Amino acid sequence: MAATFTEWVRSRSDDELVTLLRARPDLGTPAPSTLRSFAARAGSRTSLDRAVAHLDAGRLQILESLLALSDGGPPVTLERLAAAIGAPESGSAIAQVLDRLRAAALVWDDETGIHPAPGLDEVLGPYPAGLGPAVADGPDLTRLDHLGPAARHVLDALTWGPPVGVVPAAGTDARRAVDALVDDGLLHRSGSRHVLLPRPVGLALREGRTHQAPDLDPPRPDAREVPDPSTDAEAAAAALDLVRRVARLITAWDDTPPAVLRAGGLGVRDLRRTAQLLECDEPTAAVVLEIAASAGLVADDGDSPATYRPTVAADVWEGSDDADRWAALALAWSTSRRTAWQVGSRDEKGAVRAPLAPDLNKPWVPRLRDQVLETLAAQPGAALGVDDVATVLRWHSPRAVPPDAAVAGLLREAALLGVTGAGALSAPGRALTADPDPEALADALRQVLPAEVPEILLQGDLTGIVPGRPSRELARLIDQAADVESRGAATTVRFTTASVTRALDHGRAGEDLLSELASRSPVPVPQPLEYLVKDTARRHEALRVGAAQSYVRAADPTVLAGLAEDPALASWGLVRLTPTVLAAAVPASELHQLLRERGLLSALEGPDGRALGRLRRPDRLDRGRWSRRSGSGAVRTTTDEARAELVARMRGGTGGSGGGASDDGTPDGRGAAGRSGPGTAGAAVVRPEPGDALAELTEALRDGRSVWVEMVGGAGALERRELKPLKLDGGRLRALDADREAELTIAVHRIAAVEPTD
Amino acid sequence: MPDGSLIVQSDKSILLEVDHPRAEEARRAIASFAELERAPEHIHTYRLTNLGLWNARAAGHDAEQVVDTLIEHSRYPVPHALLVDVAETMGRYGRLTLHSHPTHGLVLESTDAAVLAEVLKSKRTKGLVGDRIDDSSVVVHPSERGNLKQALVKLGWPAEDLAGYVDGEAHAIDLRPTTNPVYPGEEAADWTPRPYQQQAVDGFFHGGSGVVVLPCGAGKTIVGAGAMAESKTTTLILVTNTVSARQWRDELVRRTSLTEDEIGEYSGSRKEIRPVTIATYQVLTTKRKGVYSHLELLDARDWGLIVYDEVHLLPAPIFRMTADLQARRRLGLTATLVREDGREDEVFSLIGPKRYDAPWKDIEAQGYIAPADCVEVRLTLPEHERMVYATAEPEDKYRLAACAPGKNRVVERIVADHTDDQVLVIGQYIDQLEELAAHLDAPLITGSTTVRERQRLFSAFRSGEISRLVVSKVANFSIDLPEASVAVQVSGSFGSRQEEAQRLGRVMRPKQDGRTAHFYAVVARDTVDQDFAAHRQRFLAEQGYAYRIVDAEDLDAVP
Repeated sequence: MAATFTEWVRSRSDDELVTLLRARPDLGTPAPSTLRSFAARAGSRTSLDRAVAHLDAGRLQILESLLALSDGGPPVTLERLAAAIGAPESGSAIAQVLDRLRAAALVWDDETGIHPAPGLDEVLGPYPAGLGPAVADGPDLTRLDHLGPAARHVLDALTWGPPVGVVPAAGTDARRAVDALVDDGLLHRSGSRHVLLPRPVGLALREGRTHQAPDLDPPRPDAREVPDPSTDAEAAAAALDLVRRVARLITAWDDTPPAVLRAGGLGVRDLRRTAQLLECDEPTAAVVLEIAASAGLVADDGDSPATYRPTVAADVWEGSDDADRWAALALAWSTSRRTAWQVGSRDEKGAVRAPLAPDLNKPWVPRLRDQVLETLAAQPGAALGVDDVATVLRWHSPRAVPPDAAVAGLLREAALLGVTGAGALSAPGRALTADPDPEALADALRQVLPAEVPEILLQGDLTGIVPGRPSRELARLIDQAADVESRGAATTVRFTTASVTRALDHGRAGEDLLSELASRSPVPVPQPLEYLVKDTARRHEALRVGAAQSYVRAADPTVLAGLAEDPALASWGLVRLTPTVLAAAVPASELHQLLRERGLLSALEGPDGRALGRLRRPDRLDRGRWSRRSGSGAVRTTTDEARAELVARMRGGTGGSGGGASDDGTPDGRGAAGRSGPGTAGAAVVRPEPGDALAELTEALRDGRSVWVEMVGGAGALERRELKPLKLDGGRLRALDADREAELTIAVHRIAAVEPTD
Repeated sequence: MPDGSLIVQSDKSILLEVDHPRAEEARRAIASFAELERAPEHIHTYRLTNLGLWNARAAGHDAEQVVDTLIEHSRYPVPHALLVDVAETMGRYGRLTLHSHPTHGLVLESTDAAVLAEVLKSKRTKGLVGDRIDDSSVVVHPSERGNLKQALVKLGWPAEDLAGYVDGEAHAIDLRPTTNPVYPGEEAADWTPRPYQQQAVDGFFHGGSGVVVLPCGAGKTIVGAGAMAESKTTTLILVTNTVSARQWRDELVRRTSLTEDEIGEYSGSRKEIRPVTIATYQVLTTKRKGVYSHLELLDARDWGLIVYDEVHLLPAPIFRMTADLQARRRLGLTATLVREDGREDEVFSLIGPKRYDAPWKDIEAQGYIAPADCVEVRLTLPEHERMVYATAEPEDKYRLAACAPGKNRVVERIVADHTDDQVLVIGQYIDQLEELAAHLDAPLITGSTTVRERQRLFSAFRSGEISRLVVSKVANFSIDLPEASVAVQVSGSFGSRQEEAQRLGRVMRPKQDGRTAHFYAVVARDTVDQDFAAHRQRFLAEQGYAYRIVDAEDLDAVP
């Protein structure tokens, strides 16, 4: 069995090392050359910090407990740990936790018991589990049985940590009790104003326990139960709403593409306009925008000046049904890195964050989103609030707690998408967490969508009611010809002069509209509605509007006489509207110019109105998803093969040159470093990373060993000395040079390499 | 249930499919807590409001019942947030109660100390309450009982008033089994209150104070008389105008043991204070030198019951006076809780919750109101009038359209179609009405007609002596024309819903021979007149009346 952490690391099998590299990828980059430096790196502060950051509260508790117990006292065994955290019966659970910690080289064991990895004490702070420092000469714990009430009160206050107390004012009872406790060795002075509860005393007061209660399982917040049908119904409603909003956004941006801000993103005014268009508040509009952009449906056209426009992907999207459209949006969201909830807040420079702006890309978003969805999935049917989810996430990574705003933002987005309904994960939401396949996803939504209803009940008060989800054709009809009054399980619409006018503007004739309404209504079209449509159509036709680029008008008809009929001017597209007004198909400035050339003096007029309708549909962009540069910031994927190769190379020893061949294969054979020995400065082939050098120094410092230190001397040449490190602090190493019997202080950046002396 | 008759929307509207086999059951179940918003032919829309839910709570329904009802009858899953909201809103009612305490007098009590603390912290309750007795109760100044209730409704914590009422001065009042003829030639007849009228009286009396909602023509006066007979105390009746006051008097003499000498009229012309006094809103709200000079009426006797006629028209000063009358029983009578000024919550807090409500269509179906046929006649203006209209100033447009000369001929046509009916022609503009009256050779009643002349004409109309009557706005409120079976409206005041209900009420009175009532509105096409007509059309269709549009040229085709 191994006696030290380094030996224990060496004694691990290749598979175990590969597992370790997988659990802590930072240990493998850059590739360490030997297992010794690998072990040293595993005990270094930076790597441990990383490893500990994502531990859940259960594992942290075991680690803390182990740290608190391992300084002095009997060897730490599984049973002792279980008792210490107050869960004597959960031995197997703790064993599992220990296995996982062992796999990450955060604990190791030998015949004497379980040990924490070196360096953990620094990472987890001076008072693990709120217990004070271990002391060399144990105080007489029997005195604890004969304490006065004042002393008992003092100790009670310190028992469950923090173990530091402020010394009470002189002359009080409490002060006398504290003084007596210090005299008895049950408290230690720490400076003039504080006292510390030593660890043995603390443990004794806690009756041998390090924690009041085990915290091995994630918390299950007490949440409101929501029946599945409710959840799914609300999710379906939300999903349809989102799809409807995105569709409306695409149509609107076809007509009037908004400008891209110089720094990227959409301006405040355009956001407000979009929110009005989508009939929602601005934060919701921002989410809709972000999802539409993530799905590649709208994008920056890159023109100058740049505008946001629907892409060709939007054409495909618009052609599919509600469920497919939703699936596309949900999938885009599930991998999006956008932090839409930050829209409207101010960044460090005080600038308002705009939707679609590049700086809303955050690499941690997908991971947090997955965690949030997993949390919801862990409690099916429960409506978890922001606080509930945050509580669970805090348990999962107490040392890297996600910001509440992000959790709230993601939950809100999930609700807007229908991934949750009434606060609980919906069936489509479960499909999204389980299987990111568009078909399966769309099917999951189809299951919960209310049945399509092809009929609208028309009523005498000019309303119409679709008692369910309108079919696509019906939806298009009511979208054009009516105003929606209430949405939900049913849709209530009202026909007004304005809405009927809208339908007529879309090119429908009044009679067509009536016959289509009649065909979709199970009851005859009520007479008032018939009158409304007919009256509106009559008035609609009474005024005619056409398109012209410009016009020319004159007070005297003779000036314009002959112009419209002149074949030479056919290219101008002149149309006589009245004897004194001609419309032209060329821009006003051009017409103005042409008239000049013909010898007619004309004055340019400001526009009195604009031609209605779109002459030409603007081109849509043929471009993929925006703001997604491949591989930027992505975690490099390392295969297990690569890891195994690295392990073999580390075991192999010094790397390229000799010595490697004599590897006897025994795991604890002192590999390369041992054999290379103290050679000449120039011959040193091992050039560990600077981080490794520090790790080696730290380890030597801890073990009180001497090491070979290769450093840049005053003259700029490499020097190699055997040093015993005394202190490593503030970028300086204080060490004892045994050969010269002198203490020296070296700036850390001058140290080129550190090697063990043995 | 998957095939329920209700669809509950998340915006708190409830759709009821009328032709569903279980629609009637669902309608009855939700009527207690949801307000009927519109009732066109196929799908009725109800709405959940805070006041509606509190009314239900006051009537003894609890949130669980409401939630169960919604879930039971809903076709699709009910939005969860809505259920939560219903439970929460209903839970708010009754958390605070007003009690009479043996030693402290009037106290506000709460089962929840936090709620009491919250409302006492608010600025609105400042000065209305006295000292805290303990964590859960506080002394209320008796004079502020009404103001406090008003403030609490605004704060969203309506208080249940359990403080009781003063008994008032006793006075024997009974309903007589046989009517006492009032008009010459009228014959005594046996009668009993209709079942729904009796239910309304019972509902009111058990609740203490509150509002009874009945359609025009459904006999609200009888509900008032019934309540008086139940109370057997001196009574103050507040009505909208003098004509209405006389009708109340006649009806009371006709159906109760009260004699003319026991009933006083307190109006602009007479100031009598008797055991039963009928006062007009107008005289109460008259100010002389900045003060209300007739307030002493309210304290002139120890009234045991106060009846408010047409609660939806109650003027704001009366609300303020009512706030001081909280120790007396109050009965509100109205055709609609909807107030154009949106002060429904003051009716709730000062007069009381709704105690009885019956939708028009129901009572009509029971045969008590004549069914109505509503026709909008569209008149196409001749070219020259259209030109005048098109170039008119916006403020003159309505008048121009409403008074289109072509309307005279149309009215004539309609009147000619109803030779055997009693026909009312209603309008807004006096000169138009004068012209019409001359045209039709019918008497005209306007604001300047004396009360005596008005009553003479009304009696003549009632007795069938004259069958045509042209009336202006004054006819809109609280007159009783039992035999009018046709109403023709030539101009209205900008499409107010309230006015519409009143006008329709004119012809909705029960017909002795069960004939269909007709309501015509004559409208100039393509003008603002038509836009206003759209409001009317919507209102009537929402109330569930058949509504037709007819071109003036096609009038001959009308049966």
